[in-house]
Amino acid sequence: MTAVSAPRAGSLVGTRTLLHATMRHDGRLFAPWVLVATLLSTSSVVVYPWVFPDQASREALAVAIGANPALGLIFGPAYDLSTADGFNAWRTLALGGFLVALGAVFAVTRATRAQEDSGQAELLASGVLGRSSRLMAGVALALVGSLAAGLVAGVTTGLCGGAWSSSLLLGATYTATGWMFAGVAAVTAQVGSDARTASALAVGTLGTLFLLRGLSTSLDAPAWTRWANPLGWTLETRPATGDHWAPLLLTVAFTVAAVGAAFALQARRDFGQGMLAQRPGPARGTARTPWRLAVRVNRPSLLTWTCVFVVLGVVFGHFTTSIEDLLAGEPAVQRILAAGAASPAQLTGAFVRTVLSLVGIIACVPGVQVLLRVRAEELEDRVEPVLAGAVARTRFYASHLLLALGTVAVLVLLAGTVVAVLAGGADIGVSTRDVLVQAAATVPAVWTVVALATALVGARPAASRAAWAGVLVSFLLTLLGPTFGLDDWVLGISPFWHVPTVTAGDPDWTGLGWLALVTAGLVTVGLAGFRHRDLAR
Amino acid sequence: MGAEAVIEIEGLTKSFGRFPALRGLDLRVERGEVHGFLGPNGAGKSSTIRVLLGLLRADSGTVRLLGGDPWADVVALHRRLAYVPGDVSLWPGMTGGEAIDLLGSLRGGLDERRRAELVERFELDPTKRGRQYSKGNRQKVAIVAALASDVELLVLDEPTSGLDPLMENVFQEAVGEATQRGATVLLSSHILAEAEALADRISIIRDGRVVRSGTLADLRGQTRTTIHATLARVPGHDELAGLGDVRVDGDRLTATVESTRVGAAMALLTPLGLTSLTVAPPSLESLFLRLYGDDERASDEAVPDERAR
Repeated sequence: MTAVSAPRAGSLVGTRTLLHATMRHDGRLFAPWVLVATLLSTSSVVVYPWVFPDQASREALAVAIGANPALGLIFGPAYDLSTADGFNAWRTLALGGFLVALGAVFAVTRATRAQEDSGQAELLASGVLGRSSRLMAGVALALVGSLAAGLVAGVTTGLCGGAWSSSLLLGATYTATGWMFAGVAAVTAQVGSDARTASALAVGTLGTLFLLRGLSTSLDAPAWTRWANPLGWTLETRPATGDHWAPLLLTVAFTVAAVGAAFALQARRDFGQGMLAQRPGPARGTARTPWRLAVRVNRPSLLTWTCVFVVLGVVFGHFTTSIEDLLAGEPAVQRILAAGAASPAQLTGAFVRTVLSLVGIIACVPGVQVLLRVRAEELEDRVEPVLAGAVARTRFYASHLLLALGTVAVLVLLAGTVVAVLAGGADIGVSTRDVLVQAAATVPAVWTVVALATALVGARPAASRAAWAGVLVSFLLTLLGPTFGLDDWVLGISPFWHVPTVTAGDPDWTGLGWLALVTAGLVTVGLAGFRHRDLAR
Repeated sequence: MGAEAVIEIEGLTKSFGRFPALRGLDLRVERGEVHGFLGPNGAGKSSTIRVLLGLLRADSGTVRLLGGDPWADVVALHRRLAYVPGDVSLWPGMTGGEAIDLLGSLRGGLDERRRAELVERFELDPTKRGRQYSKGNRQKVAIVAALASDVELLVLDEPTSGLDPLMENVFQEAVGEATQRGATVLLSSHILAEAEALADRISIIRDGRVVRSGTLADLRGQTRTTIHATLARVPGHDELAGLGDVRVDGDRLTATVESTRVGAAMALLTPLGLTSLTVAPPSLESLFLRLYGDDERASDEAVPDERAR
């Protein structure tokens, strides 16, 4: 399909050999994404009949989800929660696609831009290899990987008891999302002038479209907003409540168009350069301490994250102000309120806590990135000359740690302030101050996740990528744990579970004490580990 | 050997997993000298330097650097030394000028005048971004940052890899100026000409051990002069006693002789009717080739030999 859009005959020579090698070396890096998507999907159908055995518990689930519209922002609308398949579709359609898309973005970037940065591509390009072969191999890897993720997830879910039609369709939506973002990443790999920029552009596009989809489905926006968003197309397949395959044709068309555009762009750019040329910079430097270096190295991505959090604040704030309308639309919630089982203020308070936890979990990403950056710099031999200066290792590492802790605090408070101002002015039963305090109370939980990354990079550098597990576990337990009726000790693994609801009668602050203790312990392990280990090993 | 030692390593070992990178390495560098640290790829030069910089922790052995412990006294020691890695990696978005200032400041400051002068002499454009530099230019950034600071010790790990011959000259001049200011230099290299031009003393490392150490003259004395001669009469073997490694091919003879006995060899050969003669002086290269070309046994013999001296 893509060979047609390739610029010249012969430009794909060698793709087969290269793809074979890429599959062998990079293929296993796609495996975790296949695994996560499969676990996500199968766990729904396995756990559902067990946790929600009867009609009453299923209705209670629908009420609980309806009462917390923040969930809809991430997961999309819950069409039918009375069957395992409907539940699975609600829980994993958006998320599974998102994760597979991330895997596809990283696969394409790694096989294209990252290779150009590291010089591998030059070695390859000097061989008998067409101009477009490397891009082709990268895209093909992502396409095959996404297909594997969808197939494995769909078939395994079917084997675990899901209905075949909806399980396979659900798997197909993962594949389709992965495909579209393989295309997007192929384009951004031509536009950005290095791997980091390229993947940031692609992931940024994914995040924006994801957020827009959440908004358009939660706020009853006109239908065209869903059709205008490529991520909305997968939602329109309605697994288990309609099983429409047709919208997936749109995703295939999108993929073909994006990949075609990428090949056209690639034919026009120079090797190792992006569409945006680099300008000369200052001849003298101002970064003269480890702290300034940490800021300098992370500055571009932190500026981007600041913008992201302002937007998140506006979106979540706007969302919070419409909480009363959202709850009014849920007859079950109205019944609870009428029976006096919960007051509107309680529901609003819990909602604000969830929204800010969500902000906090997203803030973990830049925090973890800052620390993983230390490891990346170390492996690229850039830490060595710095530590050959009169710089204590602890000071060097602590600079990055402080930057990470400071960044996440500022980002959470920034988004929190925007939400607070919007919510406080909307007369929904929470004050600006309540929201601000809730945001501040969320910060220690983010710090705990950052501290985990600190411990890993410091003491177990080979496993430093496991820091992402901290983010993922927090996310899954915080947003999905309660609806599964998991025990408190399981939920308590997520630091966000310990964040008190400040609007409650007497909020329980002891949780924050525990968080501080764990954070301090992890930070100590990390700093000691970094002080005592061999560098770049 | 009475002079003060700037670097003193005894019996240093370091393994990565099950691979022994350094196996009982001894090294002594005295104040004010340029010490060539020679060895083939993978012999353990960079690992030794990383231990000296406190980046790797020694498994066993004693290591003294500027009178301190390189692992424990990192900050105090690093104020007194500058380092040029063999493979310089610069921050992609940071200009060369910014990197020089950063590295210099982390070390405790740069000599502004010398910084400007070195940028000029090395023809370095300091406004380019890290990822736009070629390998040689990245190397220059690290060299300028190191040589522009006033330090007692320069640790240079294959500093000229990627430099063109003109720039290599500039580098040699600049290192010469540094030693005139009183700096000690540890110069790791596999380029023999560079070591011959700069080094006062040399240590040769192989398989994680120093197999030879001494002044250039010492080491030259240890090698044998090579003689190529074309003879009028083909001699019998007993006539050539005193020559080593004798090979006769028709009327051509190749042999080696100890450097001090070249005269005796001439006396031996003249009666055989010399029609042409080349006497190659012992070069570092021949020593190198002998040490590395030899099998494992030969290098093991060399170690006690070295210790005895």
